[in-house]
Amino acid sequence: MINRRRFTRRLVYAAAGMMVPFSPVFVRPSPAAAQKPPELAVVSGPDYPALVREALRLIGGMERFVRPGKSVVVKPNIAWDRPPELAATTHPQVVGTVVELVLAAGAKQVTIFDHTCNEPRRCYVNSGMTELIETLRDRRVRLEHIDRRKFVRTSIPAGRSLREWEIYQDILTADCHINVPIAKHHGLSRLTLGLKNVMGAIGGNRGRLHHGLAQNLADLATVIKPTVTLIDATRILMDNGPQGGRLEDVRRTDTVIASADPVAADAVATTLFGLRPEDIETTVAAARMGLGEMDMSRITVREHRL
Amino acid sequence: MSTPVVPIQRYRWLRRARVVMQLGCLLLFLWLFSKTDYDGSDTIDYAVNLLFRIDPLLALCTMLAARAFILLMAPALVVVGLSLLFGRFFCGWICPLGSLLDGTQSLLKNSRSGHPTLFPSLAATILLAVLVAAALQLPLAGYVDPFSILVRALAQAVYPALHNLAEWFFTFTYQQAPPWVNALTEPLYAFLKAHVLPFQRKYFDLALLSMAVLLAIVSAEAVQRRFFCRNLCPLGALLGWFARLGVTGVAGGTEACGSCRLCSRICRMGAIDEQRHINPNSCILCMDCLVQCPRQVIGLQMQAPGRRGAGLSLSRRRFIGTVLLAGALPPVLGVRRLTAAPNPELIRPPGALAEDAFLQRCVRCAECIQVCIGNGLQPSLLEGGVEGLFAPRLVARTGYCEFNCTLCGQVCPTGAIRVLSLEEKHRSKIGHAWFDKDRCLPYAKGVPCIVCEEHCPTPDKAIRFREVVVVDDSGRDVPLHQPYIVDAFCIGCGICETKCPLPGRAAIFVTSDGEDRHPDRRLPANPGGSSSGYGGY
Ligand code: SF4
Ligand code: SF4
Repeated sequence: MINRRRFTRRLVYAAAGMMVPFSPVFVRPSPAAAQKPPELAVVSGPDYPALVREALRLIGGMERFVRPGKSVVVKPNIAWDRPPELAATTHPQVVGTVVELVLAAGAKQVTIFDHTCNEPRRCYVNSGMTELIETLRDRRVRLEHIDRRKFVRTSIPAGRSLREWEIYQDILTADCHINVPIAKHHGLSRLTLGLKNVMGAIGGNRGRLHHGLAQNLADLATVIKPTVTLIDATRILMDNGPQGGRLEDVRRTDTVIASADPVAADAVATTLFGLRPEDIETTVAAARMGLGEMDMSRITVREHRL
Repeated sequence: MSTPVVPIQRYRWLRRARVVMQLGCLLLFLWLFSKTDYDGSDTIDYAVNLLFRIDPLLALCTMLAARAFILLMAPALVVVGLSLLFGRFFCGWICPLGSLLDGTQSLLKNSRSGHPTLFPSLAATILLAVLVAAALQLPLAGYVDPFSILVRALAQAVYPALHNLAEWFFTFTYQQAPPWVNALTEPLYAFLKAHVLPFQRKYFDLALLSMAVLLAIVSAEAVQRRFFCRNLCPLGALLGWFARLGVTGVAGGTEACGSCRLCSRICRMGAIDEQRHINPNSCILCMDCLVQCPRQVIGLQMQAPGRRGAGLSLSRRRFIGTVLLAGALPPVLGVRRLTAAPNPELIRPPGALAEDAFLQRCVRCAECIQVCIGNGLQPSLLEGGVEGLFAPRLVARTGYCEFNCTLCGQVCPTGAIRVLSLEEKHRSKIGHAWFDKDRCLPYAKGVPCIVCEEHCPTPDKAIRFREVVVVDDSGRDVPLHQPYIVDAFCIGCGICETKCPLPGRAAIFVTSDGEDRHPDRRLPANPGGSSSGYGGY
C-alpha cells in the first residue's frame, strides 16, 4: 500500500533522480570527501617494484589495508593476449610487488584473476602473469581462471542504469580488493583506468554495457569497491587502446598512482594523457554518484621521484 | 582319434602382450588427443597427430590426390613395413578403434564371433572406391578411415559432452551440496579440469552426426564382433593386402583336428574357414585361437614373400563396377554451382591451401577443430559440397580465430593447413568483415557501442571509427563513434562478429571474400588507399 506521504516522497526522489544528470546543483558530495581530502600518491622512477612500495608507503602502507589473516583479491588487467611491453596489460613486476606486500602484511590468501577478452590461458601466459606466479612459489597465491559457477547475480540498489549484474563472487567476498589496472587509451571511453578495470570481474554479455558505459561503470562501482587502487602507468598506451599492439603507441611514463579513492586515482591518472578528469565520462559519472573525489584541488597528492 | 592333450598354451604370453599393447596404445592415443590443445606454449611439442601420420590409407589417398609425396605422412611407411613383416597386426594390437570395439565386448555380450563375415568383399570395395576417387583427386578416405571417425567423434561430441557433464555435476554440488561434500568434490573437479577435461566449453555443429557414426560402429558389435573391421574398414582391407604379400602368418589346423572347429567359432574376425584355413587378409593376430586350440596345432609361420598372392579379393565384375562408379563422381561434382561461385560463408583456417588442394589433403581428422582455442573452427556440413563434409571452416558468431595462435597448422597431419610463423599468421587474410548498418547500433539506433573496434586485434586497426553527431529517436543530438573497416588491415579473424553484443545475428560479419588463398578472391582496391586490391596480381 502506498500512502500519500510515501507517494510524494517518491515523486520528489524521482524528480531529483531525473535532474541529476543535467544539474550540478544535485551533486552529492561524498561523505569522505566532505570530511578530509583523499590522499593519493604519485611516484615515478625507473625501478617498478620500488615505485609500488613507495606509493603504498605514502598512503599509509599495505598494513593499513590488509590485516593479517585476511583474504585478498588482486585484480590486474590481463584481458589481452599481449606481452607487457605493448602496454595492454598490467606490468607483472607491478602485480608481483603488490602481491609481495600483501603477503608481507599477513594475508591468508591472495587470488588473482581477470575475465579476459582473448583466450584466457594465452592472456595469462603472454601478459607474464603465469610466469610471475610460478616464480613467486607461494601456496597462498592463486592465479585463477574464471570459474563460471562463481558469477552471482548481484543487485545494484544504487544503480541508475544497472539494477543488477553478474559479479564474480571472489571480488565481493574478499576482505580486501586491490585494483591494479593499467592506464591506457580506449576507443569508446577515451581512457580505461581503475573504474573500467572492474569489467574483468563481471560476467554476462559485457558488450552490452557499452551502451551508456560511463553510467554503467559508475553503477558497478557502487557494489565493487576496491580497498586500494594502484594504477600502473609505468608505460601507457596513447592510442589504439585498449588492446594496442604497436610499440609506437606506447609511452614510457615510469609512474604509479595509488589511492584508496578510486575516483581520485582515475582523475589524477587522466592528467598523464594530457587530459582533464572531466574529459572522462566514467570519472564524472562516478564522482556524481559520490564514489570519490575528482576535483584535483581537493585531493592531497603526495608526489615523489625515485 | 587321440584325446585332446591338455593345452600347454605357449602363446598365452603373446596374447597377454597383445592386450597390454592395445590398452597402452589406446591410452597413448587418448593422451595425445588431450594434448591437442594450447599448453602455455605457442608450439605443440608432441606429435599429437601421430595417429594420422602412421595411417597408410590416409597417406596413400592423400598423396594420390595431391600428386605429391607428403613428408609429414612418411611414418605410414613404417606401418606398411611392419605389416609386410607381421601381417595385419596393426588392427589387433594398435588400432584404437579396434581396441575400443574389443573393449565393448563385455557390454554387448554377443556370441556371433565365428559367423562368416556378412559382407566379405565390402571393405575391399570401399578401399577400391576410395583409391580410385583419390586418383581422380577426390579424396573420400576421411569419411571411412577409422581414426578420422574416432577422433571426430571424440573431438566434437564425447570430449565436450564430458566437460558439459562434469560442469553440470560440479555446479550442482557447488551450489547445493553441504560443505563437507564440496571438500571432496572441489579438489576432484580441480584435478579433472587440470588433467582430464577440456579447458573450456566448446560447441560443435555436427556433434550428433559425428557421434552417430561412431555409435553405429560400436552398436554393430551386437551383430558381429569387429563388424566394422571385417565388413567396412578400408584401412583394414589395405593392411590385409600387405599381410597377404608379407612373410609371416598364422597357420591353421589340419586333417588331424577331426571335427573340432573351435578356432573358426571363436575368431573375432571370421578369418578361419571350415577347413580351418586362416585367411591372412582378415587375421589380425589377436592370438585367441593359438591360445585356445586344444591341440595347440595353430602356430606362427614364415613363408616367402608374395606366396599367398596379391589382389583385393574382388570379383572382376565388382572391380569394374566400383571403378566406374567412383570415376563418375568427380565429373558430376564438377558441375555444381559451387564450382563456379565459391561459397562466401566458407572461411578456411589460416594457412589452408587453395580450396581444391585443401580438400585433396584434408582427411577430416578434426585435429584442427579440436585444437582451435577460440572454438572458431567447425566441421562443415554441405557448405563446401559433399566432398567438404567435416572439413574445418570458421563460424565466427560463436568463435573466432585467435590472433596470436598458429596451432591448427601445427596439428594438421597432411599439410592441408600450412604451418605458419606468427608473422605470417598475422598477415594471413582468411576473410573479410562487413557491417550490417541496419543492425549496427551506432548506425541504426544511435546507440554507442564499438565493441568490435575494441576487440579488433590488428596492430594497425582494421576497425576504426568516425566521431559523428547523430539525432536519435527523441530528436536529441548524440555524439557517437561509428565504426568502419580498413580493407588493407582486416584479416577476417572474426572476433568482431563473435563479440558483437547484439542478440542473434551480429551487426558485423565475416565472409571469405578477400581471402588470400586465390587471386580471384581479392577485393577491389581503393585507388587512394594502401590496399593492393584486385590489381595486386
Ligand atoms: S584440415 Fe583439419 S581436419 Fe583436415 S586434415 Fe588438417 S587437421 Fe585434419
Ligand atoms: S560491436 Fe556490433 S553493434 Fe557494436 S559497433 Fe560493432 S558491429 Fe556495431
